[in-house]
Amino acid sequence: MLRWVVKTLWSQKTSVIVSSSGVAAAFVLVVILDAAFVGESNQIVSYVRNANPDVWVMQKGVSNMHMATTFVWDWKADRIAEIPGVKKATPILYVNTIVHVGQQKLFAYLMGLKANGQRAGPWSIAAGKSHPARGEIILPYVLVKTAGVKLGDQAIVADTTFTIVGFSKETFSMANSIAFVHFKDLEDLIDMNGNISFILVDIDDDQKPEEMALRIEQEVDKVSAIPQKIFIENDFQIALLMGVEIISFMTIIGSILAALIIAFTMYSQVSKRRRELAIIKALGYKNASLYFAVVFQSVIITGLALLIALGITWGLLPLLSAVSPMVTLDVTADALTRMTFIAGFIAIVSALIPAHYVARVDPQTAFKI
Amino acid sequence: MTMNNTTLLDVDNISKYYGSGHTQVRAVRNISLQLDAGELVLIMGPSGSGKTTLLSMLGGLLKPSSGRIIIDNIDITDLKESELPNIRSAKIGFVFQAFNLLEALTVEENILFPAQLIPNQLKEAKKRANELINRIGLSKRRDALPATLSGGEKQRVAIAHALINKPPIILADEPTGNLDSQSGQDIMMVLHDIVRDDGCSVIMVTHDPRVEEIANRVLWLEDGSLNDRSENLHDWQHCPVCNMRVDALTAKLNGEFNAQQFVFCSTRCKERFEDNPTAYL
Repeated sequence: MLRWVVKTLWSQKTSVIVSSSGVAAAFVLVVILDAAFVGESNQIVSYVRNANPDVWVMQKGVSNMHMATTFVWDWKADRIAEIPGVKKATPILYVNTIVHVGQQKLFAYLMGLKANGQRAGPWSIAAGKSHPARGEIILPYVLVKTAGVKLGDQAIVADTTFTIVGFSKETFSMANSIAFVHFKDLEDLIDMNGNISFILVDIDDDQKPEEMALRIEQEVDKVSAIPQKIFIENDFQIALLMGVEIISFMTIIGSILAALIIAFTMYSQVSKRRRELAIIKALGYKNASLYFAVVFQSVIITGLALLIALGITWGLLPLLSAVSPMVTLDVTADALTRMTFIAGFIAIVSALIPAHYVARVDPQTAFKI
Repeated sequence: MTMNNTTLLDVDNISKYYGSGHTQVRAVRNISLQLDAGELVLIMGPSGSGKTTLLSMLGGLLKPSSGRIIIDNIDITDLKESELPNIRSAKIGFVFQAFNLLEALTVEENILFPAQLIPNQLKEAKKRANELINRIGLSKRRDALPATLSGGEKQRVAIAHALINKPPIILADEPTGNLDSQSGQDIMMVLHDIVRDDGCSVIMVTHDPRVEEIANRVLWLEDGSLNDRSENLHDWQHCPVCNMRVDALTAKLNGEFNAQQFVFCSTRCKERFEDNPTAYL
């Protein structure tokens, strides 16, 4: 029976490949959207991930960075630095704002770095300086390609003009990029002195982040201290929450589209093979065997579609990144596993209608000429 | 292996109706039939006489409205729909007019296809398929697809395919209907040999009068009823109205005029004759 299923499909390879390609297109749509979303979500947490302190300290009640506002008295950084087991406490000032670069507007985390705050600065520089002085700004390198800016050009934040002195890598995101200015410039910009937003705490090797976070909260008033691992997770979850419904919606649409294509293909395959199905029934095969044949055909078409989709995605990723550098695509193993399960589900569901048809095929049809 | 003089098929007064009330059609009426091992029985009759309906019932593809069918000591009349496929796969081999081979499979794969229905016999079936392929003279074409075979070759494959599970009964529906005379003759001889050598019983529906020569019995089916026909088979006469040839042994429309017997091809001809017999003499 399996041989018949496979050879029947093989005898109509063009039609099978066309159908599988249609299904693959739906899968690619879902995978690429997911990749764009995960890529963006990863970019949102890229600062948190790359700054990589052991513990983040912020205003009490705040638990993440993305879209959050937090203010802590700057002396608290000194206080934390004095706690035994703390190696270093680096304060940063941060706001969400819009940076105007040429004709382009960039929604960004604006990080204010102190003179000795390299610890909290860009982690990979494509060109220029890695630490801004007064009146200077470091922007994502992607802007060189998308906005045509170069070192020495101007960028405007609110009513303040900065000179671009450096371009950093891995700091661009459509949702929020990362720009770096001098701490004092950002203080002036928001007209606030004596405050910081976050304190990046590095601890001694023999200390545990969870215990240190607890100790900081006990010894310093009105702060939340969160270990790096949990802080990244919190930020990533917030980023996911912002787009999860859209992705779910697109996944459902893509899956329905794929299911319809497979169901149509299977139905037309089964209709074309009506006579052979009648013969097989007349020979003594039961409906269960024929259902299995239909589901197996559906699984083959879906599996082929999945392979085609993986191939297309693999080819498309570098192409899309080259054509649209602003979009960060990240295809994860999780996404592929999810897609495989969805494909399996689609294969079974889309075989239901043809299977119903199979059950109604009259074996007496075999006698007709 | 079944033995000669053993009843393989016992059909007891079966009828098949379609519809109900005024629109009821009786496709087969009160047919009884016994088939012994090693018998080749022909069922002949005009189109629409109920041959396919009868064959479908004998093959367990259609349930009779009344009566009983016993195949190899199993009463299939009361079996559930889900149990009939097992009977078909083990007890019946089908040979169809349209060959009904699976187009994507090779000659050998087609022959082996029904063997998968019988558990734990695939190894033996492969051996048997090999023997059957040699027997039907297609050993050089075992890997050919049906589309590349001639009609005669296809029908030989279909016969091998029907024999692979060693069924005691073969039901053949117009097996020579789509073949030229030489291929038809070959197929008849293959079926004849099967009956002689394997002890199978064959029920063959056919219009081909040449097959009568190799048949043990010829049954005539008309208007859903079966008549046994004697060995000496025909008594051809002409309808006095339209001059159509009619077999007087099976004719149902008879008349007499001036002490002379007449047979008619249809009710219409008979009525015309009775209105004015002298006009047709």
